[in-house]
Amino acid sequence: MYKFMENENGKPQTADTFMPVAGESLISMRNIWKTYQMGVEELHALRGVSFDVKKGEYVAIIGPSGSGKSTLMNLIGCLDSPSKGEYWINGHQVAEMTDDELAKIRNKEIGFVFQTFNLLARATALHNVELPLIYAGMRAGERHDKAQAALASVELGDRVMHKPNELSGGQRQRVAIARALVNHPSILLADEPTGALDTKTSMEIMALFEKLHAEGNTIIVVTHEHDIAERAHRVISIRDGEIEKDERTK
Amino acid sequence: MNFTETLKLALAAIWSHKLRSFLTLLGMIIGVTAFMVVLSLLQGFNTYVDEKIAGIGSNSFTVRRFSFEDFKNTDTIAEAQRRNKELTFEELEFIKERAQLVDKIGALALPNSAELKRGAVVMQDITISGTEPIIGDIENIDIAEGRFFSEAENNNSQRVAFIGAEVAQKLFPGGSAVGEEFTMRGIPYRVIGVQAVKGTVFGQSQDLFVKLPIKTYGANFGGLRNSRGIYFEATAKSPKLFKDAVEEVRTLMRIKRKLEFGEKDNFGILTPDAIAGLRDSILGPVFIVIIAVPGIALLVGAIVIMNIMLVAVTERTKEIGIRKSLGARQADILKQFLYESATLSAIGGTIGLILAKLLGIIISALLIPTTIPWYAAVIAIGVSAIVGILAGLFPAWKAARLDPIEALRAD
Ligand SMILES: Nc1ncnc2c1ncn2[C@@H]1O[C@H](COP(=O)(O)OP(=O)(O)OP(=O)(O)O)[C@@H](O)[C@H]1O
Ligand SMILES: [Mg+2]
Repeated sequence: MYKFMENENGKPQTADTFMPVAGESLISMRNIWKTYQMGVEELHALRGVSFDVKKGEYVAIIGPSGSGKSTLMNLIGCLDSPSKGEYWINGHQVAEMTDDELAKIRNKEIGFVFQTFNLLARATALHNVELPLIYAGMRAGERHDKAQAALASVELGDRVMHKPNELSGGQRQRVAIARALVNHPSILLADEPTGALDTKTSMEIMALFEKLHAEGNTIIVVTHEHDIAERAHRVISIRDGEIEKDERTK
Repeated sequence: MNFTETLKLALAAIWSHKLRSFLTLLGMIIGVTAFMVVLSLLQGFNTYVDEKIAGIGSNSFTVRRFSFEDFKNTDTIAEAQRRNKELTFEELEFIKERAQLVDKIGALALPNSAELKRGAVVMQDITISGTEPIIGDIENIDIAEGRFFSEAENNNSQRVAFIGAEVAQKLFPGGSAVGEEFTMRGIPYRVIGVQAVKGTVFGQSQDLFVKLPIKTYGANFGGLRNSRGIYFEATAKSPKLFKDAVEEVRTLMRIKRKLEFGEKDNFGILTPDAIAGLRDSILGPVFIVIIAVPGIALLVGAIVIMNIMLVAVTERTKEIGIRKSLGARQADILKQFLYESATLSAIGGTIGLILAKLLGIIISALLIPTTIPWYAAVIAIGVSAIVGILAGLFPAWKAARLDPIEALRAD
């Protein structure tokens, strides 16, 4: 699979010792560390995490609070960069990328769904969904149609001109999901997407994720609810910044 | 993101904080308004000095008994009174016969004032002056009705008058003035022409005057001496020859008056350049001060805009994080905030310009005619947009450099 050699002392590998075979893995993380400098003390939020995600997988990441789940997701989503280690997404090596290249990856490869939705409050649902397409440089007409279609696919075709404060929590999260998917990313990332929703709405959102997975999307969901994790086909457990378990459940 | 899209975004952001945007712009508005008003006043004042006070257009020069320098102090005035003789028609003929570079030259007499009567209508304190017929050509006098004097009318000292628009309107309301008569000092004059309306300057009508043929003026007002002394007005054969024509006339005057080499002129020549120079030397320092005031207002305006943009960046850190998480590049964020501050500032400039235009109309009605030159309008909006860009540069740079994850955490 990989010509990959783990170093005993956890030093990062150089690019030429680690080359994912094209087409096999969407995401490859090797020995990823994230260290925060808190005054004189070093806080290791991630300590040498390595794993791969293939196209079409549905992965849940679980773990106790403070274990490093969000930190990991932000790294996968290229919102943050690792202190050490190597990260490949869809054949691009992320570690050495400039800010603009990272912006392009975030735009083209990743759809991110946040716990608190992160919609622009002043903009309509439609405009929120259009945002990734705007930054992709798509022309207004085409963009409009695509955003409309994305909203229709999350059953919000009749709410396009609503602003976030005119939508329910579940509807807001569906807008966010439509936005995450509108530019056809390689992977959909969701960090506790149901954390701010009630149980019934959570179930609806999770059903939507299952539908999206069935349609061929690659999905990684962070959660600390086991019944949500059970819907995934693979569960990665994290504890204290390390992968404790990585098992296929379906 | 393209231009119109970014512009729309900027307008939406400004519109969502209408009151704040307006208050932010006050400094800018005041600065631009003050700047424009000062500029248009300056323009109006220059025109006024050139054309009205000096009484000559930009293409002609005058030969007079006294020069500007003669009025320096009481000693120079006394000396000039002694040395500088009145100009004579003989001297005018001398120049006319010999000058090669002069196109037209004619005599005028200094004005007096008189009372005009027609039936029951009386007009007091009207400026009366005498001119040779050729002055109509030299000064390019704009005739509304009738015509200027003929040589024959001047030579025969005929009692004909060329009058200002307001005189015509007051003395002959309801009908044409041409061919009608009025009296001055009990003597009747026939109107042969009316000048086009010139308007008011410093609240004073420029249309309250009577021009007579210079000989008529001399014959009926007590001779062309002292307060009715004559002076010459001339034009050059071409604008290029203007300076040479002035020098030629000066030389001919010196020859006629038999001045020794090195001896001072005992007459004065007034050119538009000399008038402009005098005007600038008097008003220059004043204008520097009044230009500095709007300059300071603009600077304060810029600082206020910068401040509000810093506030906007802080307020919208989360928005910046969201946009970055969706693929906005640094340049996109930078552009977004730069457009916003430039648009904000240009709106201020435009409002300032409109205010200045309104003030200009009021000033024109009450003081002197002012116009805002088109280039000044372009400069006003351009300068304010540039000020906006400069003021927005630092805040926009701060926004563009925000770390996406840090920005997303903000609230
Ligand atoms: N910006 C930061 N500066 C310093 N420490 C941080 C920072 N972000 C996260 N941490 C620390 O890193 C560790 C992992 O945090 P993370 O947010 O990834 O946890 P999590 O697994 O998502 O927890 P939760 O389930 O509560 O969301 C925590 O100990 C946290 O305090
Ligand atoms: Mg978390």
